[in-house]
Amino acid sequence: MKIITTCLFAIALMVAGAPAAELRIGTATTSITPDQPVALDGHRGLRISKKVESPVTATALALESRDGEKTLDAAIIVSCDIVAIRQGILEKVREKVKPRLPDFDPAKLFLSATHTHNAPVTLEGRYTLPESGVMKPAEYAEFMTTRVADIVVESWQNRRAGKVSWAQGQAVVAQNRRATYADGTSKMYGATNTANFRGMEGYEDHNLDVLFFWDQQDHLIATAINVPCPAQEAEGGLLLHADFWHPVRQMLRERYGKELFVLGWTGAGGDQTSRPQYGKAADERMRKLRGLTRLEEVARRIVNGWEDTYECARKDIRSDVMLRHCVKQIELPHRKVTEAEVAEARKEAAKYAKDPAQLWNYRWNHGVVERYEAQQAGTEGSYKMELHVVRLGDVVIATNEFELFTDYGVQMKARSPAVQTFVIQLAASSYGYLPERAVRGGSYSAVIQSSRVGPEGGQVLVDRTVEIINTLWKK
Amino acid sequence: MRITLVALALNLVLLPARAAELRIGTATADITPDRPVPLTGNRSVRIAREIDSRLTANVLALESRDGQRTVDQAILVSCDLCVIRPGIQEGFRKYLAERLPGFDLNKLFLAATHTHAAPVLLQDRYDEKDYGDAMQPKEYVPWLYQQMAQAVVKAWESRAKGAVAWGLGHAVAGHNRRVVYSDGTAKMFGNTNDPQFRGIEGYEDHGIHVLCFYDSQKRLKAAAITLATTAQAAGGNKVSADFWHDARRLIHERHGEDVCVLGFCAPAGDQTPRPQVNKKSEERMCTFRGLTYCQEIGRRVAGAFDDVAGVITKDIHADVPLIHRVRQIELPARIITEAEYAAAKKVCEEVDTRKTRAKTDAWMRHFHGLVVERYLAQQKGGWKTYPMELHVLRLGDVAIATNPFELFVDYGVQIQARSPAVQTFLIQLATSGPQPAYYVPTPRAVSGSGYSAEPTHNMIGPEGAQTLVDRTVEIINELWKMPTNQN
Repeated sequence: MKIITTCLFAIALMVAGAPAAELRIGTATTSITPDQPVALDGHRGLRISKKVESPVTATALALESRDGEKTLDAAIIVSCDIVAIRQGILEKVREKVKPRLPDFDPAKLFLSATHTHNAPVTLEGRYTLPESGVMKPAEYAEFMTTRVADIVVESWQNRRAGKVSWAQGQAVVAQNRRATYADGTSKMYGATNTANFRGMEGYEDHNLDVLFFWDQQDHLIATAINVPCPAQEAEGGLLLHADFWHPVRQMLRERYGKELFVLGWTGAGGDQTSRPQYGKAADERMRKLRGLTRLEEVARRIVNGWEDTYECARKDIRSDVMLRHCVKQIELPHRKVTEAEVAEARKEAAKYAKDPAQLWNYRWNHGVVERYEAQQAGTEGSYKMELHVVRLGDVVIATNEFELFTDYGVQMKARSPAVQTFVIQLAASSYGYLPERAVRGGSYSAVIQSSRVGPEGGQVLVDRTVEIINTLWKK
Repeated sequence: MRITLVALALNLVLLPARAAELRIGTATADITPDRPVPLTGNRSVRIAREIDSRLTANVLALESRDGQRTVDQAILVSCDLCVIRPGIQEGFRKYLAERLPGFDLNKLFLAATHTHAAPVLLQDRYDEKDYGDAMQPKEYVPWLYQQMAQAVVKAWESRAKGAVAWGLGHAVAGHNRRVVYSDGTAKMFGNTNDPQFRGIEGYEDHGIHVLCFYDSQKRLKAAAITLATTAQAAGGNKVSADFWHDARRLIHERHGEDVCVLGFCAPAGDQTPRPQVNKKSEERMCTFRGLTYCQEIGRRVAGAFDDVAGVITKDIHADVPLIHRVRQIELPARIITEAEYAAAKKVCEEVDTRKTRAKTDAWMRHFHGLVVERYLAQQKGGWKTYPMELHVLRLGDVAIATNPFELFVDYGVQIQARSPAVQTFLIQLATSGPQPAYYVPTPRAVSGSGYSAEPTHNMIGPEGAQTLVDRTVEIINELWKMPTNQN
C-alpha cells in the first residue's frame, strides 16, 4: 500500500508540473572486507579466500529534493562489491536503518551489486562449508549489512545542497560471452577459433553513462558510472577482490581527489564479460606493450571514457533538478519448465544429491524440479520484483533484480523518453539470469536452471519499466 | 616432367616466408571532381554542386626484398568512393599497364570507404537523363584513373627502406543498423522507439586495427586503419569523404601533414556510424563538443589511432615477412526461388510500363532485373557460383584479407577468431569482378529479411559467405605454416 501511495504521489507531482527543487547530496563509503577467510560466491565449487587482493567496499549516494524544509522525494543508492544482493540482505539493511533515520522512508533505499565473483557468500546453504576456520555466510551478512546501514545513515545525515550533471561516453568493455555454432547451439565462453563457430550471439552495449555530483563550489564529490558489464574480469581463484572497479576507483581518486566517491553500477550485462572472446592475442599484446594487467586495461578504458565526458559534464551542471523516485512491486510471469527439462534436471540432481561438495550443482538442478512441481500444482504464481525508477533531471535510473541480458537494457534505453537511461541490474535482490534470444541457443545462463524468468517475463519487465519512466516524464 | 613440376610446386610452397627488407612507398591523389557530379549510393541520383570535403585516394606500396631480389609486393589503394564497381579495378590495371615495370599488377587492389557522397562510376547506374550538366561517369572514371595512376606510380617508384608496427585499439564508430521486432522481422534503420522493438539484430565490432609505416629514421610515413563501419556518418548532397576526412585531418595535425592515411572498411555490411539507440544523448554530447556527428566519428577514430600509435613504437619491425597471395575463388551463389523471381519480374514490368518515369526507376530496374536474370540463368544451370578475387597478405604477425562485398560483421569476426595471426586486418569493398557484389547477410538476417538481406542485394548468401570465410582462413593458415626467419 505504502509503495503504491509513494508512486501515486510521485505521479501526482509530475502531473501537477512540480517544479525542480533544491537537490541535496550525501555520500559515504565503507569497507565490507572481512578480516577472516570466507567462502567466495559465484562459482559452482567452494572457494575459501586466502588473501585480500583489493578491498571490497560499499558506497552510498543519498539524494534528496527539497522545497524549503519539506522533502519532496529521496533516494539512497548503495553500490556494493558483491556478487549479488541475496534474498534478505536489503531487508536487513532497511531494518537497521529505519530506527536511525526517522525522516527517511527505507523503501527508497536500494543496494546493487557489481557482480564480482571474488566477494563473500552472504546466504547460508549455497555450499557445504568447513566447520571451522571460515567466517560463516550469516556472520558475514550481519557484518556487511551493519556496515552498509552505517553508510546509509552517514550519507543521509551528511547531505547538503549540491549539483548534478550527466554525460555519455563510450568504453569498449562489455564483450558478449555467448558463442554460437553452426548447429544453432550457443555456449558461454565457447571456443571461437573453431570451424563451426558462427558468431557472437548477441549485442554489446559500449556506452558509458555517467552521473557527476558536485558541491556548491562545483567541486566534484561523487560519480556514478554505468557499465553494461559485470565485474568478472579476474574471476576465479582464491583472492578476495573488487575486480576492475578497484583500479577504476584508484585511478579516478588519483586524478580527481582521494575523497571522490565512486559508485559502480552494472548495466544490463547478463550475457557479457569484460574478457575478449576472440582476438585475444592482439589484446594481450597491446596490454603487455602498455605494461598493464587485464584489470588495469579494463579500468583504463572506463576511466578514459569517463574523462572524455568530464569537460562536457562541467558545461551543464545543474542545481535545480527534478528528483522523483517511484518504487513498485511488479509481477513477472515465471518461465515454464517443460517435461523434458524437468526430466533432465531430476537426473542431474540425483547425480549430485549425495555429494556435499556438489551442493551448488544439486540445488541448481533440484530448483527446476521444485519449480515444475509448483507449476503442476498451480502454486508457482508470478515473481514479485521490486522495481526502482528514479528520475533525476533529464536522466532516469531503472533497476532490476536479474543478470539481465543486454537486449532488454537496449530496449529500455531505446524506448525511454529520458536523454540518458541508467539501467542497473542485480539491484534490490537477485533472481538469476534473464535471457532473451539466447533461450534458443541453450547453455549456461539461458537454460532452465539458470533462468526462473524467461523472455515473456523479460518483456513484461521492459514494458512496465518504460511505462513507469513515461509516467515520470508526463507533464 | 610431371615429377619436376610437382617438385617445383612443392619447393615454392615450402620456401620459407623469410623476413626480408621492407620497402615502403606512399602517395595521395586528389580524386575530387572540379565540376558538378552525380553522387552514388542512394536509390535516386543526387547532383552535387558543392564540396563538403575533398575525396582522396591514398596509396601504400610495399615490397619485400632479399638483396636485389623482390620477394613479394603489394599496392593497396584506399579510395574515398562508394564501391569499386564491376570493371573499375580491371580498367585501372589496364590503364597502369607498362607504367609500373617490375610490378605484378595483380598485386594491386583498390578498396572503397563506402562514402555515399562520391561520384557515380557506372554510366548506366542511373538514368543518364538525370545527370544533366554534371560530369558524366564516363568522363569521371578516366580522370580518376589518371589521378590514381600518378599516385600509384609515385608510391611505387619512391619506395624506400622502412619499418612497420601494428596495434589494436577500440572506438565506438560502428553500430549494427538492423533492428528486430517481435514478429521476427528486421529492418535496416528501423525505429527502435517502438513497443515491438526487441533488439539490434547482430553484433558490432569496435576494434580499430592499425598498421603504422615508418621511414628508415622511424618517422611515421603512413597509417593504414581498418574498422567495421562504413563512411556514412553524414550523407547529404555534397561531395564528401565523410568521417575519413575528419580522421585524416586530426591525424595530420598531430602526426604530420605528410602522413599518408589509408582508411579501410572492415566487414560491416550491417553497420553504420549512426546510432540506432541513444540518439538524444549522442546529439547532446556533439553539441557540447561543437562537432557534427561526422566530426565526432572522425574524432573517435583519430583518438583510437593515437591511443595505439604511441604504444606500438615500442615494437617496430624492419625485417618482416611480406607474402601476398591473390586467388580467384568461386563462391556458391544465392539461389533465387520461384517466388522471388515472380516478385522481381513484377517490379520490372511495373517500371517498364510506367507512364511517368520515376527517378528511382533505373535503380529498381537494375536490382530487380538482376534477380530475374539470375533466376533464368540458374534454371539453365548457370550463375550457380560467384567468382571473386581474394587477396591475402602476411605482413609480420598481421594477416590482411579482402573481399568485395558489404559483408556482415559476423563473418569478419569468424575470420578474426580463426586466424592464426596476432592481428587480422580485414578489408571489405576491395577489388571488383565482373559481377556486382553487394551485401552478404547472415542466416539470422536472412530470416529477418529486410533491405540488405533480400535477394535483390545478395549475390551470395550465408552458404557463399561461409565458403569465403573458410577459404580465407585456409589461405591465412597456409601463410602461417611457412617458416619464417624473422628477427
